[in-house]
Amino acid sequence: MTIRNRLVLWYSGLLLIGLLLIAGWAWYEMVVEHSMSRTPAQEGDTPLEEFGEVILYGGLPALLLAVVGGWFLMRRALAPLSRFTRAVEQVYPETLGEQLPSTGNGDEVDRLTEVFNSMMRRLDNSFSHIREFTLNASHELKTPLTIMRGEIETRLRDPATSSADHEFFADQLDEITRLTKIVDALAFLSKADTGYLAIASEPVHLDELVRDSFADAQLLGRPQALQVELSSCDTALVRGDRYRLRQLLLNLTENAIKYTRPQGHLTIALHRKNGTAELTIANTGPGISQEKLPRVFDRFYRGDPAHHGAIEGCGLGLSIAQSIVKAHQGTIQIVSEPDKLTTVTVRLPVSQVE
Amino acid sequence: MSDKLMRVLVVEDEKKTASFVRKALQAEGHAVDVIQDGTEALVAVANTPFDVVVLDVMLPGRDGLSVVRQMRERKIGTPVLLLTARGEVSEKVEGLNAGADDYLAKPFALAELIARVRALGRRGSDTKSLTLRVGDLTLDTVTRKVKRGDAPIELAPREYLLLEFLMRSAGRICGRMDIVEKVWDYDFDPGTNLVDVYIMRLREKIDADFEPKLLQTVRGVGYVLKEPV
Repeated sequence: MTIRNRLVLWYSGLLLIGLLLIAGWAWYEMVVEHSMSRTPAQEGDTPLEEFGEVILYGGLPALLLAVVGGWFLMRRALAPLSRFTRAVEQVYPETLGEQLPSTGNGDEVDRLTEVFNSMMRRLDNSFSHIREFTLNASHELKTPLTIMRGEIETRLRDPATSSADHEFFADQLDEITRLTKIVDALAFLSKADTGYLAIASEPVHLDELVRDSFADAQLLGRPQALQVELSSCDTALVRGDRYRLRQLLLNLTENAIKYTRPQGHLTIALHRKNGTAELTIANTGPGISQEKLPRVFDRFYRGDPAHHGAIEGCGLGLSIAQSIVKAHQGTIQIVSEPDKLTTVTVRLPVSQVE
Repeated sequence: MSDKLMRVLVVEDEKKTASFVRKALQAEGHAVDVIQDGTEALVAVANTPFDVVVLDVMLPGRDGLSVVRQMRERKIGTPVLLLTARGEVSEKVEGLNAGADDYLAKPFALAELIARVRALGRRGSDTKSLTLRVGDLTLDTVTRKVKRGDAPIELAPREYLLLEFLMRSAGRICGRMDIVEKVWDYDFDPGTNLVDVYIMRLREKIDADFEPKLLQTVRGVGYVLKEPV
């Protein structure tokens, strides 16, 4: 039944009750009371006065009933719309595949839900097309990259290649390596988007991985004379994929090192509290301004354009880190005080079995 | 270091890739056969005693994984190196479960391919010696003591692992990917100069104050630890 019909039915029911009340009252006042007091000598209300009374005492409550009842009816009738609104609020690009629940009673909201669901299906299709396109593109790019790499290496290994050519081919090889990294990163991200990312679920001692990456960070920070510190390292067993978690740690420490000025500080800490492993990586340095902060996880986004030339990388590191954290049901956030401290915090659920 | 020359079967339908892989392996002195089809490959391995099979996963006829599976079912134990464009962990696990012995993701470094083919061919004959020696550099795998001549050398744990790996492959080029897999336990290209930094550090410790220099860089390809001739 449509909302219009439903409202009409309910409202007419309500008005009918009001009318019946008024009619009952009038019948009592005009017919029953009159027949009880037949003595014409007795002063009584004239029919006009009585009518006024009826309107006053009967009409007002009826009006009140209509207002209160009307409000209640509207609320009931529009409840499916509110439910629909709440459901739509939960729609994100990742949840486009999920359909909103429909009541199946054929009303306007049900029809709206159907139309909305079919729109989401179309959007979901386009989204998957784009994601699969990226995935297929990065896959297809690997064949020519393999050939280019192989043929250049063949020339590099050939003793007949002159030293000038050798230099040229080595440069080409560096660029192919860079291109390969971008293609790999894109493949990784599109796999994460399409849900094809294979994440193992095995017990991983996060503290061991943190210690390993601390050792690496010390060495990687050497050229800039960074002071690298592991301020705390609680034991923490998490469930997940050790390769992806290693990748996460490397991405984050590398990123921190890249954006720390020479002689700066880098502090790594792992705390376990309330069933959560909290990893913080804090570095001194220019930091990120407030308006740029929300964009740091965007793909190909690289903070300050002035740094583009100076700092290597393709701007996909933090996006990858975010995908890995999400795949482990964790959260990642970044806070920054420009020219002071930039802190990345990763929270991962600790495994219950310990 | 006497590497035996091997007969290698390359199963790859992409002609250019097959061509440079064949050239690279031939340059190492191996005899190389190239086949482009999975079903034909299965016939070939049944009839010819190859030492190593380099097998692409995406093939016409019969895909690489099914070729390995069939080989193992028919009790053909020839070592198999799988090549794939995907480089995804699940596929690696799947490949190794199917019976492949090693796995290389495209695009790969030629040196990586050559080193792995060689390692597969030597499998079984490889004795794990307790003391490794290159020139006057020695590494005792039991006490974990490293010496250059009589001078003891202090190494951090990761530096030790890296040196042990390089010494076990002494004389041949080690690809960066091979190093990060075996020394860092990464299944991805870290895309950093991590390996270079560790090599630099290692060089400071084992080469800086000594002659001859043992640890050499092969640009764009990898590293090699050997006594210069």
